[in-house]
Amino acid sequence: MTHHSVTRRSVTAGIATAIGALAAPAIVRAQAKTIKIASIAPLSGPWARQGQLLKMGTDMAMEDINAAGGIKSLGGAKIEVIAADAGDSTEKAKNAAQRLLSDQPELVGGTGAWLSSFTLAVTEVTERASLPWLTLSYSDAITNRGFKFVFQTSPTADWQAKETVPTALKLAEAATHKTPKTVGIIMDNTAAPVSFSKPLREGGLEKMGLKLTVDQIFTPPLSDATPLIEKVRSAKPDFLLLLTSAMPDCKLVLEKLDEFKLAHGKVPLVGNGAPFGSPELLSTIGPELLEGLLFSVANWPTKGQEEFIERFKKRTGEPFLTQDGLCGYGDVAILAAALEAAGAADRIKVAEAIRKMNLTTGPAAQCFPGPIKFDGKGRRVDVPMIFAQWQKGVPISVFPADLALGKAVWPSV
Amino acid sequence: MRTRPESNRQRWAIAAVAAAVLALSLVLRSAYYELVLTQVLLWAVMSLGWNILCGYGGYFSFGHAVFWGLGAYTVALAMIYLNLSPWVSIPFCAVVGAVAGAIIGFPTFRLKGHYFALAMLAYPLAMLPIFQWLGFQELALPMKRETAALYMQFEDPRVYVVLALGLMVVALSISLWVENSRFGMALTAIKQNEPAAEAAGIDTWRWKMLALMLSGAIAAVAGGLYAVVLLVLTPDTVFGMLVSAQALILALFGGVGSLWGPIIGAMVLVPLAEGLNAELGNVLPGIQGVVYGVAIIVIILCAPEGVYWRVLDRLNRNKKPEPRATVAAAPVVALLQPRGTAGGDLLVLRGIGISFGGLRALDQIDLAVPPGGLYGIIGPNGAGKTTLFNVINGFLAPGNGTAEFAGEKITGLRPNRICRRGIGRTFQVVRAFARMSVLENVIVGAYVGAPDDTAARNMALAALDRVGLSVRADAIAGGLTTRELRLMELARALAPNPRLVLLDETLAGLGHEDLDGILGVIRQIRTDGTTVLIIEHTMQAMVNLVDHFTVLDHGRLIAEGKPNDVVRDQRVIEAYLGKKWVERVAATAN
Repeated sequence: MTHHSVTRRSVTAGIATAIGALAAPAIVRAQAKTIKIASIAPLSGPWARQGQLLKMGTDMAMEDINAAGGIKSLGGAKIEVIAADAGDSTEKAKNAAQRLLSDQPELVGGTGAWLSSFTLAVTEVTERASLPWLTLSYSDAITNRGFKFVFQTSPTADWQAKETVPTALKLAEAATHKTPKTVGIIMDNTAAPVSFSKPLREGGLEKMGLKLTVDQIFTPPLSDATPLIEKVRSAKPDFLLLLTSAMPDCKLVLEKLDEFKLAHGKVPLVGNGAPFGSPELLSTIGPELLEGLLFSVANWPTKGQEEFIERFKKRTGEPFLTQDGLCGYGDVAILAAALEAAGAADRIKVAEAIRKMNLTTGPAAQCFPGPIKFDGKGRRVDVPMIFAQWQKGVPISVFPADLALGKAVWPSV
Repeated sequence: MRTRPESNRQRWAIAAVAAAVLALSLVLRSAYYELVLTQVLLWAVMSLGWNILCGYGGYFSFGHAVFWGLGAYTVALAMIYLNLSPWVSIPFCAVVGAVAGAIIGFPTFRLKGHYFALAMLAYPLAMLPIFQWLGFQELALPMKRETAALYMQFEDPRVYVVLALGLMVVALSISLWVENSRFGMALTAIKQNEPAAEAAGIDTWRWKMLALMLSGAIAAVAGGLYAVVLLVLTPDTVFGMLVSAQALILALFGGVGSLWGPIIGAMVLVPLAEGLNAELGNVLPGIQGVVYGVAIIVIILCAPEGVYWRVLDRLNRNKKPEPRATVAAAPVVALLQPRGTAGGDLLVLRGIGISFGGLRALDQIDLAVPPGGLYGIIGPNGAGKTTLFNVINGFLAPGNGTAEFAGEKITGLRPNRICRRGIGRTFQVVRAFARMSVLENVIVGAYVGAPDDTAARNMALAALDRVGLSVRADAIAGGLTTRELRLMELARALAPNPRLVLLDETLAGLGHEDLDGILGVIRQIRTDGTTVLIIEHTMQAMVNLVDHFTVLDHGRLIAEGKPNDVVRDQRVIEAYLGKKWVERVAATAN
């Protein structure tokens, strides 16, 4: 840590003891040649694990960029990623953003804060400070507010909901040369699954020529999955959308499917979101039950990243690379590319460079499927829907074919 | 009653704190510190709101997040869907909070103590799924680039400090007004002994409802401004457990039931928590929660009632209490003339009966007490004497029969209404407001018959004079002797000049010397024109005191008449001493 983050620390220690210490001005001295980037993520509280994964990515990107000679257009200036804890509430996340901006006036950009409500709060602060901000959060609200300095690297939730089922159908066709005709939904009634499935029920499935033969909604926590799976056994849909948000519920459903001899792809399973590919899922549920589970996701390790994935695993001891680490790395790489293009450590110019950006090669582009190009709202354009599948204890990307690290297994029905 | 200089001093203190906060906000040159300062002030307001019901009234709530959240969502939804500025919607939050308070209070005040606290927990928890289901899981207040100030959006963070400070000054002023008014006195009485407050004529239901509505209104307004400051709402952020806990912890830490407790709590704990987050959050994630928790535990162990009270006790320890010079000189209002009913008895009971499960506690009790009488009710333990009093003053509703007072039916009325009609009472086990002074205890009773606070005070002083307790007016009730407590309770019952007082074993537990004094006081009460109905089970003292005996046994009226006749009644002797004694008495008489 640098000399001057120690200064900040002693200042904030002051507030801990007495309000009077609030009066102490933040002494911040500019340090030559180091460009500061913020990374806000939940490092404590219920989402700490995901925040840690994100931080692993940003730290690794910082080291890679500095080892490769820093920002060349700025005379090889090194970058420094300053991490802050978003904690467990929007209030804490917003405070973290405000604190970083006050303590580090020379920040040129940032990334975070993982949970979409945290990101919403953080960007209320960063937007007012004209600080370019990248995020993997995919709530539509983030880029629906008319903000000019927020860039969403993930496709939005609505888009994912719209694309997941058609893409699954394509996958099935490619693997089996048959188009599924029936589908089942098992979901809990929390916010994400409800908004994901709403357009599907309201005519979406019909348009794709799919018949909804099982439609089971439960209130978490699920105590017994038997009645749900009995419905699946009798209706035998061509595939099943599994929209659970809590791991124990997911486990119960998978175990019950196994008990009813419907697991291992007898009824292909499709989920949505990075939690379906987390190392925790593997340790809780085990590779056998997960085998064959497909899920759509905003970003997942793809072709060309093999060397990077190995380095990440070695460096962190994680069993595999997931969306969080990948996006953390990618966001810092985007900011570095923008700095390189802007040739100035200046927020406005960096934001301008991001708006003009159209990258298809280089470290930043490698981290995301599709080009790094943003529209007027700050959303990426021409992004393909990625699918990953659990195969032998590892979730690997299986779609689109040109990026996939593996081949989708879709059992013939 | 607190004196005026005291409340003036508090007003100056509020002004001083406001000036200090303003000065601080000018000195701070960091948007971050201004934001933290704003949050300190907002949480202080929230905690002040909580303190009105829970600190003054003693009804703990684990669910004040419901008001905070409703306020926050009112502002956000009004802005998003109606394009309504927070300048309009934040004041409206007061209405939302008060209405929510009324709706919540109506069913919840049926519960007391821990049950009330836990039931309150349910309301914010119920809001979480409702707001999620309504599709409001993430709301962002739209950014207004052109008419920012009209929508309470400012570049300068100090404006928010000023707004939150204004709110805090309002909340402090309201709290100060509550503390120094009949409202606060009623809440204190409710907190210390709710049945006694009700029997002393305080409409406990009404004051509790008002307290919850006021408390909810303040919390909702604070929540409304919080939405403007935070700009992004999720149900968890505003209805979550942590919000309710925060309001409670700040007040507990600073000092429950004091004006400055919530302020002290907010000014210490909010920056402490934030400082720990900033310092340790990215070094050893999660440790900030542990340090915060340990800090609270240590301080609660050292100052269980909160920092404010601890400091106050420390300061007062060195001060000697000043003797009150004004009491003796206080004007004594002599309002007492015998008031009779137009020909007929003052209190008439007809066929009163009540059962508790299988036990017939009272059965067919008829009783008529003429105005100006001094009637005694005697009977062995468990005869139903106190139950009869509880029926007369409204604590219990009789299963059958009616009670009439001054020609009007009083059965079914709540105790405070019956007290208003002119029936005062004391309790077998003295129900004092232990932390209030003797004078304050009596003032609580005087309110029923007093047009204003000054009159209440004068009536209380007069009542203390009547029982001969004027010298102890300033003593704290918790430190009185049994005799003094009995006299204080008697004064409380007498303060509003009731037409009838019910004395429940006023003589119990008193020595001979004390007894004579009290007997004199009781006789004087009757001489002054108040009808007296007294319960005792020791017959000796009563024979010389009362002019009529009613004897109860096993819930039935077994004898009635002049004291000297009644004590010779065979049924009475049997009830008290058993059949053997009846024979022996008969033998001696012969």
